[in-house]
Order: sequence, then structure tokens, then C-alpha cells
Amino acid sequence: MDAPATAAVPDGQSAMHLAPAPLLEVSGLQVTFHARDTSIYAVQGISYTVEPGQTLAIIGESGSGKTVSAQAIMGLLPGSASVAGSVRFRGEELVGLSQRDMRGHRGRSFAMVFQYPERSLNPTMRVGSQITEAIRTHEQLGKKEAHDRAVELLKMVRLPAPERRFYEYPHQLSGGMRQRVVIAIALACGPQVLFADEATTALDVTTQAQIMDLLLDLQQQTGTALVMISHDLGLAATYAEDVMVMYAGKIVERAPAKELFAGVRMPYTQALLDAIPRIELEPHVLLPVVGGRPPDLASIPPGCPFAPRCPGVQDDCRQDAPPLKQYEAGRWWACWHPLGKGAQ
Amino acid sequence: MSLPAANILTTASVAPAAEVAGPAAGRRWVRNLEIAVPATILILLLFFCFIWPMVYPVPKPVGGSLTTVNLPLWSKGHIFGTDIVGNDVMSRILYGGRVSFEVAAGVQAIGLVVGGLVGLVAAYRGGWTDAVLMRILDVFIAFPSLVLVLAIADSLGPSETHVIWALSAFSIPAFARVSRAAALRLRDQPFVVAARLSGSRPWRIMFQHLVPNMLPQLLTFSMLGASLTIILEGALDFLGYGIPQPTASWGNMIASGESFISVYPRYVVVPSIFLLVTAISLNLLGDGLRARWNVR
Repeated sequence: MDAPATAAVPDGQSAMHLAPAPLLEVSGLQVTFHARDTSIYAVQGISYTVEPGQTLAIIGESGSGKTVSAQAIMGLLPGSASVAGSVRFRGEELVGLSQRDMRGHRGRSFAMVFQYPERSLNPTMRVGSQITEAIRTHEQLGKKEAHDRAVELLKMVRLPAPERRFYEYPHQLSGGMRQRVVIAIALACGPQVLFADEATTALDVTTQAQIMDLLLDLQQQTGTALVMISHDLGLAATYAEDVMVMYAGKIVERAPAKELFAGVRMPYTQALLDAIPRIELEPHVLLPVVGGRPPDLASIPPGCPFAPRCPGVQDDCRQDAPPLKQYEAGRWWACWHPLGKGAQ
Repeated sequence: MSLPAANILTTASVAPAAEVAGPAAGRRWVRNLEIAVPATILILLLFFCFIWPMVYPVPKPVGGSLTTVNLPLWSKGHIFGTDIVGNDVMSRILYGGRVSFEVAAGVQAIGLVVGGLVGLVAAYRGGWTDAVLMRILDVFIAFPSLVLVLAIADSLGPSETHVIWALSAFSIPAFARVSRAAALRLRDQPFVVAARLSGSRPWRIMFQHLVPNMLPQLLTFSMLGASLTIILEGALDFLGYGIPQPTASWGNMIASGESFISVYPRYVVVPSIFLLVTAISLNLLGDGLRARWNVR
């Protein structure tokens, strides 16, 4: 399954024709952390697919398992975590692959942009060397060629004066510039799926918009799929095609962004939306917050995980957990009493 | 009448400004001294021990004439006098200093490379590798260090290289601990994960991403370790397991002078002062660099 990862710009079109199976298929993924005397069920059987060129946002609060599930896909979890279920990349199973075999996929099949631009770069290495390192890991290239490719990548992420920046150290760059470099490194080997884990959270709002626009532009150019991991529903609404909401290690709702915000089904998603400040609100009004806390992932009670906090909770919610099902075209939710359906 | 009032006004308006600039500037000045003073002392000592005897006709440290036995301090041509067999004390101090610095450098270098590697691999691989390596080192650490060093030095026999081997048994586990702690802190930093994620090989991650970021910590530690090594080396010499007579070393100068300490304290005092100044300078330099590089 060696897709020819050609240049910095892989051929997304031909990749699509090669693959009858989805680009990335996650099914029944479970991640459990084993501590001394407890087990923490961080991800409890999530399934989703990512198609080439798609933009998917995974939304959830801290500890909902969004980052852990991405790390599990890339085989980055420590030994204390056990991963079950299946992750297929172009039909090839990734769960249980050795670190050595995983290395072939990293950077080329998928790459990741992290939350902290100030910690994502090695402070003792020049920016350029960090990019060429990523390039030369997968391709036999001379120093000169790798340098040219790196400068090209820096141009692609619209870093001003790329020739000069190549020889600079991370501390000489601003947060936004560093994040551009991180993106350049992530794109160095033309990944098919790019995970952006809170990639803009540490940046100020204007820089955030620039970086998001850059990511979407690059996605258009390269045809890579983009998985945004964020807690920011507004960001997801603006930039993603599909939105997936996670709660307590499970997917609770998935829908195309436009439809989701037009009519939310899952009360948790609604609660998240209500908590976003809006310009139309009266000044000095308390924002409705989601009361209570997410369940302890070490001991999960039966029933819907959101039941204790749900305003529309009913008896059956506490008995059985609702499964995630596709109820309408492109729309999945996990709720016995979805919003906007009860009236019908 | 108006003069004192004017005075009060000016002092009052000037004082806060001076206070703002004062401590910050003063602290920076002290900070620089913390490094500059011990560094200068060490550079001077190194210069006089290693280079001075090559460019200036310093008397030989051994085979002194019996006609010049036991000269007092500040004698002509022998500023620290001569010892009971007529050797120039100044010269023995310089050549003895060479031994101290060579042993310190050797022990720290071995500790840095071997211990540093062990700690790095233990931290990066984790799991069983970590457990096994660190338990082996725990055995070394659990032993009283001087007893261990004496046992090794005794079984190898007295010589400068053997002193280095013996003292390395003490520096290797210490470096391994520091290096492991430093590597563990770095291992989960996003840039290291990013390197793994781009498919870099483990050795490349260790030497390109971990080691350069660990160096400040390891180098400061080696300064503090060198000061300890110099003192331990003196102790070994003093106990007769170190550098054998007649080769000069600060430790064996103190040892041979000890019998005369009540009559001629200078035989013990002069090398002791050099030992002390060197050890303190290394310690201060280590602390100064630690503060400068912001290393824990």
C-alpha cells in the first residue's frame, strides 16, 4: 500500500481513484489507560471515516478523548495504554503495528500539528534543519535538494523571507510564525491526513484566523484530509465540513456543519452552543453553562453518559446508553430523545 | 528656608527612580560576577598548572637538592619554600594541580558520556530497560561512595589512570540519574513527539533532539561533580590509594606534610588552600551557570 508520496504536493486526485476503501477508517476504537488499581476508559468504541480532502472537526471538552483517540490512531500512546478496535489506513490495519512499521506511516500517511507552537520546535535546532530532517526521513535527498524543498515549504506556509528564516532558531520567531513552521514540517512528506490538535488555541484571534485559512488553503492545494481537534464550536462551524461531537469517550453527534448548527439533535451539543457568548444577547446576562461535571472515566454508570447533566433527561436515559446511529442522511446522533424531533 | 524644601523635593523625586533601576542593575552585576570570578580563578589556575611550566623555567617538582631543604615561605626562587626533601613547593603545587584537573576532567568526561548515555537510553526506552539499568546503578549509589572507590582503587593499584577509573564508579551513576531525569522531562515535549511523528529513528531523536537540550543541565552538573572529584582525589591520595610519591599531587602533599603539621603547618596549609580554592571555584561556577541557564 505504498502510495507514491511524490513532492510536497501529493496528487490528491489520483489517490482518490486508487482507494476504494475510505482513506482512514476507525471502527470500534477503544483506549484504556491502566493505572495501578484502576482503569480509565478514555475512548469507548468510536467509529468514523475520513475521506480524502475532507475537513472533519472533532469537538469536545477536556478529557472527552478527542486527543487520545488521535494519538491512538498514530500509535503515539505510552505503554500504559491499551488500544482495541481497528484503524485502517487505505485498508491497512494500523492497530498492533510495531513502532518500526508505524514509522513508515508517520509523516507520510498522517501528520499532526500541536497546540503549543512554542514547544513544538526544538529550541536547539535551526528551523530549516527541523524541516529537512522530516523530509530526509522518508526520502533520499541531497542537502541542497532538501534545503530547496524546505524553503519551498516555508514559502507555501507563507512565512515571510523564507531563505532567511531557514537559518533562524525558533526563539527568533513569533507564535504564529512558529506554527507556520510546524505546519511546514507536518506537510514535509505530503501526509494524506493532517491532524490539527488545537492548532490555533494558543494563538490570538487574528493569527488564529490566518492559520486556519492557511490550513484550508493548503488542504485545497494538496488534497489532504484535515481533522481539526478543538473545543471551539465556533471555529468548527466556520471551517469544517463535518462536525463530530465527543463526550466522555464517545461520539454523541455527527453531522455536516451547516445542518448541525441549523438543528441540533443531541442536548449536549445544544448545551455547548448555548454556552457561546453571542452579540445579540443582552449585556450582563449570565451565560447558560453546562452544569455538573463529565462522568469519571474510571467508573462509568449505565445509561447515557450525559444523563446526569441533561435538561431533558428521562427514565430510559438512565437505563441504557443510546447507540450512535445514522437517523438521517449524513446525520448521526446518540440520544433517545433528540431535540427538534419530539414535537413531530 | 526654601533650600531644604528644594532638597526634599529633589531627593523625593529622584529616589523612586533610583530604586527602580538600582536592584535590577545590581543583581545583573552580581550575576555576572558569580560566573566571572570563579571562571577567572579557574582559568588562571589552569594556565599556571599547564602552560606556565612550559614557558618559564620552573624548578623540577621532584629530585630537589638536599642543600635547599625546608626553606620557609617567600624564599628567593621558592615563593612557597621547599619541602623536607628539598623540592620546590610552588612547582609541586603546579604539577599536582595538573593531576587534580586531569583526574577531574577524566572522571567527568567518563561520567558524562557513559552515565549520560545510560540515563538517556533508560529514559527513552522506558519499561524493562529503564528498570534494569536504574537498579544496577542503584547498587552503586547505595554503596558508601568512598568505600567503593577505595575498594576499586586498592584492587587496581595506585596510579593516575586507576584513580580516574575508581572515581568514575561514582560519577557514572550520578550522571545517569541526572541525564535520565532531564531526558524524561523532554521525552513528551511536543517537539520530540513531532519528531517521532515525522518518522525519525530513535537514535536520531535521542542525539538530535534530546541531547542538545540536556547539555546545559549535564554541564552544570559536571562542574559541581568536578569539585567533588578533586576533593575525593585528594582523599584517595591522602589515604595512599591515589597518586604514588614522588609524583606530586595536592593530596599526597597534604599526606606527607601531615606528620609535620604542628611544626611546619605550611606543608599542609598551602596545598589545602589550592584544593579549597579550586573546589569552591568549580562549585560557584556550576551554581552561576545553573542560574544563568535556568537549570534546576
